[in-house]
Amino acid sequence: MPSDLYREVALEEKQRLFDEVKADARYQGYLYGCYECGICVAACPSARFYDFSPRKITQTLAREDVELFYEQLNDDVWNCSQCFSCNRCPRQNSPGGLITIMREVAVNNGLRSMKEALAGYTRIIYKIMTTGTQVSPDMLQEDAFPDWGPQVKTVSDNLDVWRRALPPETLHTTGLSWQVEEKTMHELYAIWKLTGTLDMISQVDEGLHDIMEEIMDDALEDSGLRVD
Amino acid sequence: MEPLNLPIAGTKVETAKVFDRDPETVRDEDLREAIRELGREGEWIVQPVPEPYYLAPTKFGREKKIPLTHTWHHKSCGQCGHIPGYSTSIFWLNRVLGLDYFDPRDQTSCTAWNYYASATSNQAAQAAVAMRNFSAAYETGYYPIIHCGTSFGHYKEVRHELVHDAKLRRQVRAIIEKLGRPFVMPEEIVHYSEWMYAVRRDLAQRVQFDLSPITATVHPACHYYKLQSGDAIYDPEIYGGQRTAAVTGVVQELGAHVADYSTWYDCCGFGFRHILVQRDFTRSFATLRKIEVMKEEANPDVVLTHDTGCVTSLDKSQFAAQAHGRNVGVPVMSESQFAALAMGAHPFRVCQLHWHSVDYRPLLRKMGIDVDKAWAEFEDDVRKIKSGELEYVTWEHVL
Amino acid sequence: MANTDTVLIVGAGPGGMEAARTVAELGKKVLLVEAQAEIGGTPYASYATLTPDLQETEAAMGHIVRGIRHNPSIDLRVNTRVVKSEGDIGAFHVTLENPDATQTVVEVGAVVIATGFQHFDPGRETQMYGYYEYDDVITLVDAEAMFKQGKIIRPSTGQAPDSVAFIQCVGSRDRQIGNKYCSKVCCGIASKQSIEIKRMLPNAKVFIFYIDMRMYGFWEDQIYWKAQEEYKVNYVRGIVTEVIRRGGKLLIKGEDTTMGRPVEVLMDLVILSVGMEPSKGTVQMSKIFSVPREEHGFLQTVGGPLDTVSTPVPGIFVAGAAAGPKDIEDTVSMGGAAAAKAVGALNRLALEV
Repeated sequence: MPSDLYREVALEEKQRLFDEVKADARYQGYLYGCYECGICVAACPSARFYDFSPRKITQTLAREDVELFYEQLNDDVWNCSQCFSCNRCPRQNSPGGLITIMREVAVNNGLRSMKEALAGYTRIIYKIMTTGTQVSPDMLQEDAFPDWGPQVKTVSDNLDVWRRALPPETLHTTGLSWQVEEKTMHELYAIWKLTGTLDMISQVDEGLHDIMEEIMDDALEDSGLRVD
Repeated sequence: MEPLNLPIAGTKVETAKVFDRDPETVRDEDLREAIRELGREGEWIVQPVPEPYYLAPTKFGREKKIPLTHTWHHKSCGQCGHIPGYSTSIFWLNRVLGLDYFDPRDQTSCTAWNYYASATSNQAAQAAVAMRNFSAAYETGYYPIIHCGTSFGHYKEVRHELVHDAKLRRQVRAIIEKLGRPFVMPEEIVHYSEWMYAVRRDLAQRVQFDLSPITATVHPACHYYKLQSGDAIYDPEIYGGQRTAAVTGVVQELGAHVADYSTWYDCCGFGFRHILVQRDFTRSFATLRKIEVMKEEANPDVVLTHDTGCVTSLDKSQFAAQAHGRNVGVPVMSESQFAALAMGAHPFRVCQLHWHSVDYRPLLRKMGIDVDKAWAEFEDDVRKIKSGELEYVTWEHVL
Repeated sequence: MANTDTVLIVGAGPGGMEAARTVAELGKKVLLVEAQAEIGGTPYASYATLTPDLQETEAAMGHIVRGIRHNPSIDLRVNTRVVKSEGDIGAFHVTLENPDATQTVVEVGAVVIATGFQHFDPGRETQMYGYYEYDDVITLVDAEAMFKQGKIIRPSTGQAPDSVAFIQCVGSRDRQIGNKYCSKVCCGIASKQSIEIKRMLPNAKVFIFYIDMRMYGFWEDQIYWKAQEEYKVNYVRGIVTEVIRRGGKLLIKGEDTTMGRPVEVLMDLVILSVGMEPSKGTVQMSKIFSVPREEHGFLQTVGGPLDTVSTPVPGIFVAGAAAGPKDIEDTVSMGGAAAAKAVGALNRLALEV
């Protein structure tokens, strides 16, 4: 079915991206077929809030409708909450899992809609990839979470002292969620390099990629871990 | 929504119909069998659950081994980062029960929060992160127990992929070997809330307050029981074995009343990406579909859950809704914090409630806790730390 | 010496009874074994009326049941189980057991297995239907029990419901549960029941939530169109995912997939259209007679669509829902076919001897 949207994108390009999704090892176990029972939609939080339907994502992929697929790849997949309530599908599809794969393809191919969806998110990628912990205490700043009320400011004002008022020694940190050994971080860098994860970041934010690559390469050189 | 004036239903079912589990009708595969088989074939080392363990019932009647002691605590980035009383309470409970545990520094997050938010990772990387952590646990001799619901669910997905995909297994094994580490799969993947369930009676014996006036609503975490659902704890005593017994089984055992509400199955609205950069979704869902429904139908004193993201979205989303005059305002915490409070843990030194948003003081007063005294004590700690008189609050201060 | 004059029929439901009548008419002796005290099988025991013609079961089947009891060629053993079998076609040595554990060994030439199905237990459903949580969530079978008493009520209050929802495909067509098949009859039974409810309670609102309505042949106009056109039953395409109590009622949640919008409505009574699984007896007979089960768990037949009753074991035939989900029409047809084939096999054996 031709889509009115994204006419400027060649069908071959849409097909190429679809084939990339379909080639993922998980795809066969995530998509069987859809008989439109609506169980996934009824259980889906995003379907209540957005014009979003895990059933339509699944049906589109099952029909191999690459036009509609491309539309969803750009306009829908970032609305998913990844809660996997849809995993109850009686056909054993995983619409949420299919979306995970579609998002990976969007990242690997540097789609503009992906960059928009992840705008403001890159500092978190930096944190998780360089420290191995995602949400550090010092990220709780009122400018980042104005809707969480004045308590966020209280926490950030008292952060250093409040972190010392924690009995577990591993939590005496502000820049990491807990104290992570240097060697552990280096092993994580090796994993990012060996699995092509670091390369993925260049599609999201070239600058971020270059900064992280430098940090990781220096650290790995010091650590003696080989990643070739 | 129409107003409702209901008797508050508990977790005892109202029907006399009883579900008999028939193991012969279970059709999903028991992954643990495949894991042991791969162990026998030398594909990986299978780390056994140390004895003594507790046998917990799961959805289809299989029994799951839950380690009681000698546990390696796979911490949660969000819990440690901004709900530090969550993890501290888990450790405190282990100490009070006299159970040996290990709090590692050789541990990374599962990185699944990032993965589910941004997809800036892939199958092999996620599996390698999991197996690196399992390897680290194995080398200490302690058994991994996972604090975060998302890590727990994600690791079970990874386990499923590694069992079924020999190519992925070889790829990840090569990476782990490059790191100079053994390739290890634990016999069971265990969530801390399952450990809480296993020790619930020991916890209940140490409760210091009368919890009978306390009404709690429970939010079961999606990633705890919706990913690989056959592996979650289901107890015939809790909703006739039709819903997971994690959290609920513990809270009832402690003596509090658990009230039902009609959106129990709904997600909290966390959304991974949404909580960080698109919170209008999270706030709406968390308040309209969860907190307001709980308030209307059960009017709870506290919302209890067992995952990082759920505590975060349910607690933090209420501020903006309250500003708009919505029917919200229920404190949110983990069942580990609630159990610790009930057992006399310090609300600030241990449960670290000052990191939470919604006012928890009415709950503490109702439980019989002198909240003003406790806060004064904590303020005194803070003063001492600031003055250099005290470097850290330590376990000696809280046990 | 081969036994060429007796056919053992296991199970005295519609398939087993028809097989017994046919074997008798063809001049052979029948040993009809039934584990229950009563004969007639699941429809006779559990259904007030039959699908699709809404005949009262007693009126439709009573004379068959009595005919079986009084047929001199049929040796009926109720409260009796088959516990063991040795030997081959022409000489099966089958051990029967009474409730007091007395065992007898009989020799028979051929066997027809008609041990049928059991209804799916909704406790194993992966959707949240609350059958074991709420009294007002019932199954098709529970509804029939009320119909037998000439009523339909909400068990929690004893009052007549103003709104009733049927949920289709409970335990059927579900890879998660492991039942990848359609149970064939539940669409028809739900439609039949919806008509009966509307006859008793003309003002009640009745909904059927379905994935596909499977109303083969004459069932289409006999019950589907009839329910929709004459009785104004609402058919909603989309399956309910959750049933939860809200107030004194049941809140059901799902998606109306035709309209593409979420459904959250209150109902007084929810009826789960539970599907078929092989009965315990069918599973046991598979072991005792070494008849393999096909991939859905039912007894295997060898002829595909062209021979529905021959199993891989010579001299052993199957009739009815022991071989897969069947309506009564097919079950009875299979009973006759299995009987004819069993007698034919014995006749050939007699010629060889």
